[in-house]
Amino acid sequence: MKLKSTEFKDFAILLSVSLLIILSFSFFFFGIAGVRVALGIVLVTVPFYLILNNFELEEGEKVVFSVLLGLTILPSFAYLLGFLISFRLSMAVIFTILVIASFLIKKFRK
Amino acid sequence: MKLNKNYIQTLIFLAVYLFGVYFWAQPYLERKLPYGEYDAMSHFEVADYMAYNDRSFMALPDYIDLRYGNDNKFRPHTLWYPPTFHASLGVMEAIGGERVLPVFFLNTVLATLVIVSVYFVINSLFGFLPAILSAILLIFSPRDFMPYIWGQWPERFAYAFVPIILYCFYKYFTAYSKHDNKPVYLYLAALFLGVNVLIHPLVFFHSVIGLAVLYIVLAFKQKKIVFNWKHIAISGAIFLVLFFMFPYQTFNIFPQFTGGSGGNAQQSSFELSRVFQWSLNPQDYAGSVPPSYFSFSDMNGLWTLPFLLLGILFLAWRRESRDLFLLAWLISLYLILHRDLIGKSAFLHRSLSASAHIFAPLAAVGAVYAVSFIKTQSNVKTYLKYTAAAIFVYLVFSVNMAYASKIINKDTYNPNTSNGFFTALNKEEYEAAGWVLKNVPMNANLTVLGIPSQPNILDATSRKIRWFAAVAQHVTRFYDLRPDKEEILKSNDWYIMLDYTMLGPLNDRQTFESMQQFEKMNLTKHALVYNQNNIRVYKLET
Repeated sequence: MKLKSTEFKDFAILLSVSLLIILSFSFFFFGIAGVRVALGIVLVTVPFYLILNNFELEEGEKVVFSVLLGLTILPSFAYLLGFLISFRLSMAVIFTILVIASFLIKKFRK
Repeated sequence: MKLNKNYIQTLIFLAVYLFGVYFWAQPYLERKLPYGEYDAMSHFEVADYMAYNDRSFMALPDYIDLRYGNDNKFRPHTLWYPPTFHASLGVMEAIGGERVLPVFFLNTVLATLVIVSVYFVINSLFGFLPAILSAILLIFSPRDFMPYIWGQWPERFAYAFVPIILYCFYKYFTAYSKHDNKPVYLYLAALFLGVNVLIHPLVFFHSVIGLAVLYIVLAFKQKKIVFNWKHIAISGAIFLVLFFMFPYQTFNIFPQFTGGSGGNAQQSSFELSRVFQWSLNPQDYAGSVPPSYFSFSDMNGLWTLPFLLLGILFLAWRRESRDLFLLAWLISLYLILHRDLIGKSAFLHRSLSASAHIFAPLAAVGAVYAVSFIKTQSNVKTYLKYTAAAIFVYLVFSVNMAYASKIINKDTYNPNTSNGFFTALNKEEYEAAGWVLKNVPMNANLTVLGIPSQPNILDATSRKIRWFAAVAQHVTRFYDLRPDKEEILKSNDWYIMLDYTMLGPLNDRQTFESMQQFEKMNLTKHALVYNQNNIRVYKLET
């Protein structure tokens, strides 16, 4: 389900406010490592949000589904690639591949 | 920005959820030290090895293999679970830049994601009020946070997928017609089902039975059979790609499934009374989980029972498709919990831990919709609905939170209190383990004196030793229990650690003096390589 531009703006503000609350909470209780983990969760979520954004789904569905997929699919592929290259590097490579995949899906679904 | 109602509701839920994360994080918030039972150690070990050494691994390192080498019946000496869950923790350890906090923080997030998924599904189908009430009640569910603090981490996370899988299938089924359908929901159900099997096989079976019951119930309700070869083929392919992603681990399901009973459960013969019981007999699990784990009153609060029954009654009375969604979920869990009647009792008590995920929404629906049974004006109904919701919240905080706070708090597994003195690493031991990791060759082992190993206390202190091994990434053993004491003293492969940190609080002068004597008499050919915070490590001088 595509949002209108004003709805998208509102949704972006909601996401920003939510992120700010989450980061403040993480810093207050868990310190800088907590902030990095919170940002890490956002980071692994982004590629799947971009992929799911190509399908007719509700915004809430896209957010919840992409969190669940980001915390499972991305690390699984990173583990597999981690046999060939460094685990940290494999995380970055898989992230990049997934982001590219989201744009390719968008292109081919047009 | 126009503040729309949905956004305010989302922010309210966010506040509730973050409070839940805080509540569940209490055991490590201040100390930032690892804690938990054997399962917790194993999950930490696998994730930490990956992140710390910056590489994936197939064969288990010695200090993990020692205990888990044969847990994978299909491919011994490899990971016994697919690495999905542990890789996730490993990713966050790498990003977080520390070893303990990122792993434990992410684990708290993963274990509490069931609150998010239940909220999301109930909000989508029944609206905000029952959803937020469900979420608040779930935060204080001991059957959820007790396994989490003990260490059944992947299982806790896997339960977050059950409502999502059922929801995706529900959306597919209800939208399906000859002219219009939304196959993306079936593909997503298959994707989440595949992920579910990678995280925890037991919970995967919950999802499968849930799907079967939901299909049957919806087929009767909507009087249609939904079957589309193309959709099923694509969904099957998605599932199989994930299933075969880690074959050594996923194939381990089969020998496990056909194996023994698991846990402490006894194979029981058919008893008719079981059909009418939700919970299990605590005596069958003595020593594994506390008797309170099987008590409805302790785990849910007796006050939820009328709301729960009202919820079931209301849904059975109204029988809309969304009502049948919840009832199908309840029926499927009933079936899973009674699999012992067909001889499958493996880890039955673990399945019981899924109860609150369906009880909480049913009780919340009962509280919110009970007013539907009363014939009165709509504004009075609205007033009564919010009054019931307020009473619900009051009871959650006064009964459930009060009970939960006694189990999970900052003293849980605290090495500075009797709660974790014998089982968890204290700060000094954690630092020494970190030193061992950085300074002791990977092929060397560690043997320890000073941590009590008498039979009456061994069960507890064995956990401390295992935590030391997990943080040090080295095989660690009690010196006093070794049959090869003389060889150890002559070996370059063994480092000897004298831990004096527990003797002061125990007021154990005798052990203190014997350890001093041991240092003088037996370590004359050894060099003192670590001497901090009442912990000493020696190695044989070559």
